[in-house]
Amino acid sequence: MHTLQDPEFGNKMVTLMAALVLVLQIAMVAQRWIVTNIRIFAAQSILLAAIANTIAYYNHAPHIYAAAALTFLAKGILVPIVLERLVARIGIGREIEPILNAPLSIVISGGLTLVGYVLAEPFYRPEESPGAATLGHNALAVAISLFLIGFFMMINRRKALTQVLALLCLENGLFLAAISLTYGMPLIVELSVLFDVLVAVLVLGILVYRIRETFESMDVSRMRRLRG
Amino acid sequence: MIPAQMILAFLLAVPLAACAACAVSRRRPVLEAVNVSAFALTFLLALAVAAQVLRSGAISLWNGFLYADSLSALVILLNASAALACSVYAVGYLREDERSGALDDDAGGNTGVSNTGVSNTGGFKLRKYYALTPLLVFSMLLVCLANNLGVMWAGVELTTLASVFLVTFYGKVTSLEAAWKYAIIGGVGLSMALFGTLLTYYAGHKLPGSDGLAGLNWSVLVRQAGQLDKTSMRMAFVLVLLGYGTKAGLAPMHTWKPDAYSEAPVPTAAILSTALMNCAIYALVRFYVLTSRCLGAEYPGHLLLLLGIFSMGISAPFILVQKNFRRLLAYHTIEHAGIMLTALGVGGPIGSLALMLHMTFHTVAKSALFLCVGNIYQHFKTDLFQRIKGGVLRVMPLAGSAFCIATLAIVGMPPFCLFQSEFLIVGAAFGTGHLLTGALFLLFGTTVFAGVALHVNELVLGSTEEARTGWYPWRDTSILVLVVILIAIGFWLPAPLLELVRRAALVVIGNEAGG
Repeated sequence: MHTLQDPEFGNKMVTLMAALVLVLQIAMVAQRWIVTNIRIFAAQSILLAAIANTIAYYNHAPHIYAAAALTFLAKGILVPIVLERLVARIGIGREIEPILNAPLSIVISGGLTLVGYVLAEPFYRPEESPGAATLGHNALAVAISLFLIGFFMMINRRKALTQVLALLCLENGLFLAAISLTYGMPLIVELSVLFDVLVAVLVLGILVYRIRETFESMDVSRMRRLRG
Repeated sequence: MIPAQMILAFLLAVPLAACAACAVSRRRPVLEAVNVSAFALTFLLALAVAAQVLRSGAISLWNGFLYADSLSALVILLNASAALACSVYAVGYLREDERSGALDDDAGGNTGVSNTGVSNTGGFKLRKYYALTPLLVFSMLLVCLANNLGVMWAGVELTTLASVFLVTFYGKVTSLEAAWKYAIIGGVGLSMALFGTLLTYYAGHKLPGSDGLAGLNWSVLVRQAGQLDKTSMRMAFVLVLLGYGTKAGLAPMHTWKPDAYSEAPVPTAAILSTALMNCAIYALVRFYVLTSRCLGAEYPGHLLLLLGIFSMGISAPFILVQKNFRRLLAYHTIEHAGIMLTALGVGGPIGSLALMLHMTFHTVAKSALFLCVGNIYQHFKTDLFQRIKGGVLRVMPLAGSAFCIATLAIVGMPPFCLFQSEFLIVGAAFGTGHLLTGALFLLFGTTVFAGVALHVNELVLGSTEEARTGWYPWRDTSILVLVVILIAIGFWLPAPLLELVRRAALVVIGNEAGG
């Protein structure tokens, strides 16, 4: 069992899962179907919970387990169910129709990942915190990339529901940054953030539904009455 | 004997209880009575907090979870007074709406919004307004009372969530568009602010005594601000500035503001443009204090000046060509956000004093202005200048003259109070060698002055055949009280309030005793 206790092994596990999270994010950028997008988001959130568990185990930080469990429940299960039901109720318009096409979007996401690595560089200081604490050096770079790609998704998409998904991806990037930088924020903060995310999904879901009802479309670029 | 600190908990409990009570109650008199009395009580508690802070310095409760120093006490007092004035006004405003049928389902080109499973009748809308407004006020008070910067962030996010459905209040097509922009732009902005908060936590998490919950407590961080990690704080401040700047409506993240203000019911718009903006500026000030103590005042100051002057510059042309007076006020609020940021960016004892004075004066003047506009809007049923062909002063003498006075005050005419604070800012800018800042400030300030004066002139003066309106008890009383306060504080600021403002400015530059 001693491979499991080796921090080096933990580091590799975290890096592997962070890489998978990034792959999922880019898959989401390229995907055309809303429902698949929601499922990828669910998978990504579950992976994030797994990363949090791994970091908690190797750094003996029990409060991260709570944050991981809450993330799993809220973002891995609850939010995707709410969003899928919303899609089912809305019915038509299941394609995303991004502004830029898939290959170009993927190239841009790749570029943003590079920016993420550059931005994360000043935070990597192995000499200050040797040993287990370097766990998740790559994770921070991935977190910043998730954040940037989330921004890009927000701009690149016209449908209301997909903008909600982009906002959730931003949130996922933040969660990863929090666990890789500081092993999670204080529990009360994590709790209030998660609570806000849940309420935000409900509020935005109601808005999406009403936009769909009123405009006969989820395309937010059609909302152009308010100018100047 | 209840310890004095418990007032902090009461301050949060009162609006929350009012929200719960209004969510279950169905009768209009009950809703109105609960709202007005809850806000009156909140105002009294805010006064008590201010008095307590003046007497014994910063107070905290529950191991420092809630914390109030002079800065929080000032913002709480301002927000509570704005909320009280607006709640009194709202009673008259919503009764008028109900009478004129604006709350009915098919008002204003509404198409099919009512199929959401809940009935959207006037009664439901009333309950929505009266339940969500206390929730909004609760979250704004939480922002000012939370010591933990993460909880403060959650409070700011909650203000957005509580007010989204107030923006969609009338259920019009345009309200949906406004609410969507408000929610999405606000959400993206706040995610940046959360990233900034996280980096701040990282900057301090290796220092002794700052692990766990206390690691994000402002009162803990500020004592160790000199030892915070500099790289992280540099990045954190940019993110926080963009994030809370979105919430304050700074250009170029301001686009939600005119839409939300022109679609929300007028009392809500008044709260958003005064109290909510105060909260966003308050959050920025908290981070400014940390950053300036860690990196020196130069770095955050330059960023603040850049965004502040840019916001003033962006709002000026939009004010000149504006056709809609509610949007005019929104752009005007953007300009004032810019002014406050400039004051903070100039910094130093005079700059911070000017910021606090300006925040105080702006809260009074802008809420009076919005409430007057509400009267005009409800009487003429339009918010376009060209549809009202002048003569407001003759049709509604009180609202018209109040509108004139508040306008003159808010564009910075002497002898009104905002002249003093803006004069202080310009003086401080030139005095500290920010020549370009001072010059641009004057240029944009005069442009806005010209724009607003032209538009208001056109609206208020002139003759008309319309009959003079009577006295609206709820609405006119709140306008009258606000205008009397506005005129009075131009000449005489009560000594305790002045002391509170002075000490709040000291929090910014970091000299307050027990800090």
